[in-house]
Amino acid sequence: MQLRYDDYFLEAAVFLCASGRQTGVPSLQIARFHRERENLYSILDPDERNTAFFKLHLDWFREWGLEQPLTEVLAEFPLVRERLAVLAVRKSSVKNDEGAELYVNDAGQRTGLLALKPERLAGRRSADFSPLQRRTAESSRTPPEAHGMAALKRAEARAPVALRDFLRHEFAHLHDMLDPAFGYSPALDLPGLNAAQMRLARERYRLLWDITIEGRVAAAGHAPLQPREHHAAAFARGYSFWPETQQAETFASLWQNPTPRHADFLALIADPRELRDAHRPAPGAPCPLCDFPTFHWADTGTLPFEIRQRIAAEFPAWVPDQGLCNRCLETYQAASPSELNPAVAGC
Amino acid sequence: MSNVFNWQLGREMDYPYEAAFPDQQFAFIFNINRCIGCQSCTMACKSTWTFAKGQEYMWWNNVETKPYGGYPHHWDVKTLDLLEQANPGGQNWGGQPDGVKAPYGKFNGKTIFEATKTFIGPEGANRALGYLPTDEEWSAPNRYEDHPVGNEKGVKGQYFKGGELLPEHKTWFFYLARICNHCSYPACLAACPRNAIYKRPEDGIVLIDQERCRGYRKCMEACPYKKTLYRGTTRTSEKCIACYPRIEGRDQTGGGLPMQTRCMASCIGHIRLQGLIELNKDGTWKEARNNPLYYLIHVAKVALPLYPQFGTEPNGYYIPPRWVSRPYLQQMFGPGVDDAIEKYSAPDRELLAVLQLFGKDQRICHRYEIKEGPKVFETEVRGKKFVMYNDTIIGYAKDGTKIIETTVEEPLHVRDAKHANSI
Repeated sequence: MQLRYDDYFLEAAVFLCASGRQTGVPSLQIARFHRERENLYSILDPDERNTAFFKLHLDWFREWGLEQPLTEVLAEFPLVRERLAVLAVRKSSVKNDEGAELYVNDAGQRTGLLALKPERLAGRRSADFSPLQRRTAESSRTPPEAHGMAALKRAEARAPVALRDFLRHEFAHLHDMLDPAFGYSPALDLPGLNAAQMRLARERYRLLWDITIEGRVAAAGHAPLQPREHHAAAFARGYSFWPETQQAETFASLWQNPTPRHADFLALIADPRELRDAHRPAPGAPCPLCDFPTFHWADTGTLPFEIRQRIAAEFPAWVPDQGLCNRCLETYQAASPSELNPAVAGC
Repeated sequence: MSNVFNWQLGREMDYPYEAAFPDQQFAFIFNINRCIGCQSCTMACKSTWTFAKGQEYMWWNNVETKPYGGYPHHWDVKTLDLLEQANPGGQNWGGQPDGVKAPYGKFNGKTIFEATKTFIGPEGANRALGYLPTDEEWSAPNRYEDHPVGNEKGVKGQYFKGGELLPEHKTWFFYLARICNHCSYPACLAACPRNAIYKRPEDGIVLIDQERCRGYRKCMEACPYKKTLYRGTTRTSEKCIACYPRIEGRDQTGGGLPMQTRCMASCIGHIRLQGLIELNKDGTWKEARNNPLYYLIHVAKVALPLYPQFGTEPNGYYIPPRWVSRPYLQQMFGPGVDDAIEKYSAPDRELLAVLQLFGKDQRICHRYEIKEGPKVFETEVRGKKFVMYNDTIIGYAKDGTKIIETTVEEPLHVRDAKHANSI
């Protein structure tokens, strides 16, 4: 598997290191980096210049150990290394954009694309640890280590760990997508769901998948991105219509499942309220005519014959037992002025 | 560090270089009371200078909704916070106003140049206290557009009673249009390790020499207004160039006369007035009573510098919005806010006439004169008498060419009755 980097990602990560964001980078090396970088500006051909910058940034990316967390965590996922042709790392500017995706071309070649904020690699100092950071004018020549930089070091020491946790989580997604036993399919095979239900199903799929990944990460002795309680609460919110015991049992089975399957997720997301098999319309279920979820079902026992006929003309498969919402009933009442709305008919 | 005189602070201050002043200084005034946040200025600048590859997130001119908005996000709060950390409780003003040398009294706190002597910022020890915004902070340039803030806690489903009454609205926001301030003591220039940034001796415009820049981004860290930006495709920093070909009178539409920048000229709200100011040897403004900028800043004192406490002596001035919380405005524009709003709310005869010059012509007005007209209106503004005269104000270019002639009352043209849409 090839590991490739986006130019902007490399430059941003290396630059953050060189600008003093990363402790432990010798100042002589930073000076050398800038000197080498400055020299490249004299290359006139833009393509040559870009290539030279890329090589320089890649060299320093490796020299400063920024690649190490990536390769080390990747080593924990032999299947990913074996089945991916390329893993490309690109720069992500915003947190919501971060994550791993799998692309398969027509020839069946698989490429993983990891979007990552460069700040995750080069520990970022924050401005809110100032009390320890201040120094007095008299002591301005004293090395910064003597003036409370310990707070900074503590903050930065966490950065690589957080990076590894994040990478482990994202590579686990890639692993599942590549694992034939998982049976991943990008399209959710859930016939009969409307667009709103499909969106909800995707959200549930994401929730379940994250839970199983975090459970496996925890079982392997690593720190999950969020603690188990956080995921349990998220699951309880997503399946709030279940009794608490059922929520707890299902969550535990997901968290402890070492080999989850795509099909298992589909079974849990498609119709968790079992509304499809309900013989009577349930509160919050979609109206069979307009597909909007409703809590206001019309009384089909007293439906005039005219309306039933009109509905049957447009929905031949519809039977009164399936019900219809009050809004649909109003629509069909309004559409039958002659028989049902004498006030309108008289106009 | 050298000792330089900063008249906006009313005192000398530290600066990495000796003071050096241009023959004329590019300066501008934005009347925030008139800005409707239409972004015409933003797009005029974008379509003129920053439409190329690598400049997608580069907005030399932007209009942000205060208090929450900012480009980059929270640029001012972050710098204010760093200064507060460097000098806890000490960032305040004192003294009395004293002519052009100290029009706002004396700033007792630390500037971004002085704070670095005793405080290390997030980017390490530097010539000016600052920080480097992240990519995320440069994204979404109009974040929090139209988001108001409440001075007091509201009740759900109810409007504030009297919330619309001046002097301060109970919920408020305002649009802050910003370009590079072409500061007299630029932090970007001070911080550049390559001496790639310079201030033009002819007009004080601050430029980055693209041949010298090597993309260290120290200027981005240091500029407290965050108005230098990095371009990934060229690996150099770029910034507002104050449309210098227009300032030089090289835009054909000006007939050889110096013209205002594109952002000023495109403003549909007529909030902007840009000019060139002559300076004394100590950097204070030479008296030019009939230069509209001199009048508004040093005589009427209705236009105030943006965050003067940063210490860069910015050359962008603002007429503060009347309806906004005063402590917020005092933090942003210094101690002259109350007087400025008082004068602007019930302008005297001359001020009302000079305010008509905003946006009336693209060419730079160096001098004005007023021809008195009849009294047309009289009322009371919050207990203060306000009389309006339909005076005529005439603006002249530097060479004496008459470029503006307008009246206080907006001209009304009544079409002949033969037209279908006659009044």
